[in-house]
Amino acid sequence: MEFAIISTLNGVTYGLLLFMVSAGLTLIFGMMGVLNFAHASFYMLGAYVAYAVSSIFGFWTGILVAPIVVGLVGMAVERFLLPRVHAHGHAHELLLTFGLALIIEELIKLFFGDFPVNYQMPEALRFSAFEIFGTGYPFYRMFIGAVAVIMFTVLWLLLTRTRTGIVVRAAERLPQMAEALGHNIPIVFMFVFGTGAALAGLAGAVAGAFYPTNPNMGIELGVIVFVVVVVGGLGSLKGSLVASLLIGLFSSFAVGLDWSIASMFDVVGLGDWARSVGGLLTLELSSVSATIPFALMLIVLLVRPAGLMGERN
Amino acid sequence: MTSIQKILLALLLVLLIAVPPFLGLGWQNALINVLISSLFALAFNLLNGQAGLLSFGHAAYFGVGAFAALHLMIAVEDGLFFPTPLLPLAGGLAGLVVGVVAGYFSTMRSGVYFALVTLAIAELFHSLAPHLEGTFGGEAGVSSMRMPWMGFGFGTIIEVYYLTLGWVVLCGLALWAYTRTPFGRLTLALRDNEQRVKFLGYNAHYAKVIVFAVSAMMTGVAGALLAISNETANYSLFSGSVSAQVVLQTFVGGSTVFFGPVIGATVFTLFSFLISDLTRSWLFYQGLIFVLVMLYAPTGIGGVIDHHIRNRRQLDLAKIGGPYLVALGGGILIAAGTVFLTESAEVLFGQDYAMARDGAAGGFPAYDLFGLSWSPLNPVTWLVPLVLLCGGVFILIRARRVIDRLWARKDEATTDDMTVGAGGKE
Repeated sequence: MEFAIISTLNGVTYGLLLFMVSAGLTLIFGMMGVLNFAHASFYMLGAYVAYAVSSIFGFWTGILVAPIVVGLVGMAVERFLLPRVHAHGHAHELLLTFGLALIIEELIKLFFGDFPVNYQMPEALRFSAFEIFGTGYPFYRMFIGAVAVIMFTVLWLLLTRTRTGIVVRAAERLPQMAEALGHNIPIVFMFVFGTGAALAGLAGAVAGAFYPTNPNMGIELGVIVFVVVVVGGLGSLKGSLVASLLIGLFSSFAVGLDWSIASMFDVVGLGDWARSVGGLLTLELSSVSATIPFALMLIVLLVRPAGLMGERN
Repeated sequence: MTSIQKILLALLLVLLIAVPPFLGLGWQNALINVLISSLFALAFNLLNGQAGLLSFGHAAYFGVGAFAALHLMIAVEDGLFFPTPLLPLAGGLAGLVVGVVAGYFSTMRSGVYFALVTLAIAELFHSLAPHLEGTFGGEAGVSSMRMPWMGFGFGTIIEVYYLTLGWVVLCGLALWAYTRTPFGRLTLALRDNEQRVKFLGYNAHYAKVIVFAVSAMMTGVAGALLAISNETANYSLFSGSVSAQVVLQTFVGGSTVFFGPVIGATVFTLFSFLISDLTRSWLFYQGLIFVLVMLYAPTGIGGVIDHHIRNRRQLDLAKIGGPYLVALGGGILIAAGTVFLTESAEVLFGQDYAMARDGAAGGFPAYDLFGLSWSPLNPVTWLVPLVLLCGGVFILIRARRVIDRLWARKDEATTDDMTVGAGGKE
């Protein structure tokens, strides 16, 4: 019971963090058809900017400045770099963001070194939210979750309840029609890209203080974020929320379970045979917890490429 | 192929055969890596350039080939009779088998979805391999020894080099010949208009699976050659950086020209061989080169060269050569400024400098770069790269204007896309 409750709590907060990063990625893909390989780098950039700023001006300034800086970087990429390769097709846009991801990672290594930096949450936030099974549950995990929930609510209201939201959704569906009606679509695209990047930057700034901040954090999260947006459905905000929670819960449960295919064979009395075969059959769930998301992504791509909630194939 | 190209290729081959015995061991090893990555890039580009399928997970087939060859090598060590020079066949076979299965599933999708499927397959291998002790040797990997065969000891690097050269030339020519077969032309048609290919009565899916499998097979051969050369392999061969490297090499070299990827593979492998000892930022430069090529010469180095060869009759070399040299000068100035700033940043933000600052009681002591001493507080230190960058950009823009005008004059007769301008930067 203790394991189940703690894992659920951890899984939900990790899932919400994943959602903060994947929300921007899926929004950008839905709108422009660009699969942004540099998106997870924006997450890392956010953590490092927050680290650099907070070491001088304090934690909260860092949290505030990081999304703004990363958002501006995102806008610059959309404004000055992507249009140059647009004529050569989506593959080249993909490759460009891929190259940018490499450059951002190497720049971070250049300025901050190829090792984790000491980015910490302030002492004021370092307390336990409540006691559970004799141990304190860190408040900061709840804080990460709360930031994600607030962000999702604001984004949702913005997209569904405001005039700007209507224009953005129109630009996503039929960009040419929206442009013909007099809306400045390139500016809309630029701001959506910037907002997506800023969200990733905010996630990095918030999460970097809890999880380790190092130059590999972008790549490590990046592949998982791809899994999330594919499983949720490229372009679907709701889908990526569901998929984020799914993957978050799964990864927090899997590390504590020692099930294997062989133990399933035990039920029908073939367990010993399966163990003698070895290989894939005796791998424990905890050791393949990094593999399952990719298997899930593969299955979704092959069976239902639109994902859980995507509309288009 | 024109007769000039044939002569050039033959000349290159003669050089590749005749020169290496006189080189040091480091260079021989570097050349082996150049050859292997060339074959890898060529195989990758069969899928990408010919069939228009961008794979982000070719590390899977490279790694599978390497492990297959190693297991066969272990069997040979244990007494199985198998000629050492034919070991890459095992890699090719393993690549083919895995390629057929992976290709069957991944080619069900196209575009971004195809790229994601290949990425997921490679990540599956990468995350599973450390846990499968028997097949992939866990974290430590699998090791073996090259066994002598028919008087060849395969104990020296030069013997391995000639073995690699033989296989790479053979496979490279086979790939080139493949593109000339009717089926090879059909692959091109698949890239350009899949609907039409289907309408003509071909099974587009099967055709794609075959291309995928051939590409995976050749990738497997390249992986096997690496295994033979290193005599060891571990799960890091499946990592995303291996898949990324071949993408980088192929596109910088030029994916639209058959031998373009070879140029990219050669440039990047030699670059890492020569530069990685000098600076820790070489990966940064590599990324920068890739992005610049994507922005200013999307067809890659090979594409730019090909464009010039195609238009050589209309171009007046005497007229355009001058501006090209000027542009090259501008490019060199920009490169010098960028290198200066990067290396300065590496020094100033490094740990050694932090310690030096502690020694100087928080001040900014001077640092050594390029044999000179620079003070971070002296404006001259920052004026140097600034002048280099501004001067370079100014010269490049002026030169580009002239070059564009000369090309436009030529293009009045023929309509061809413009991919000039960055000629001086590569």
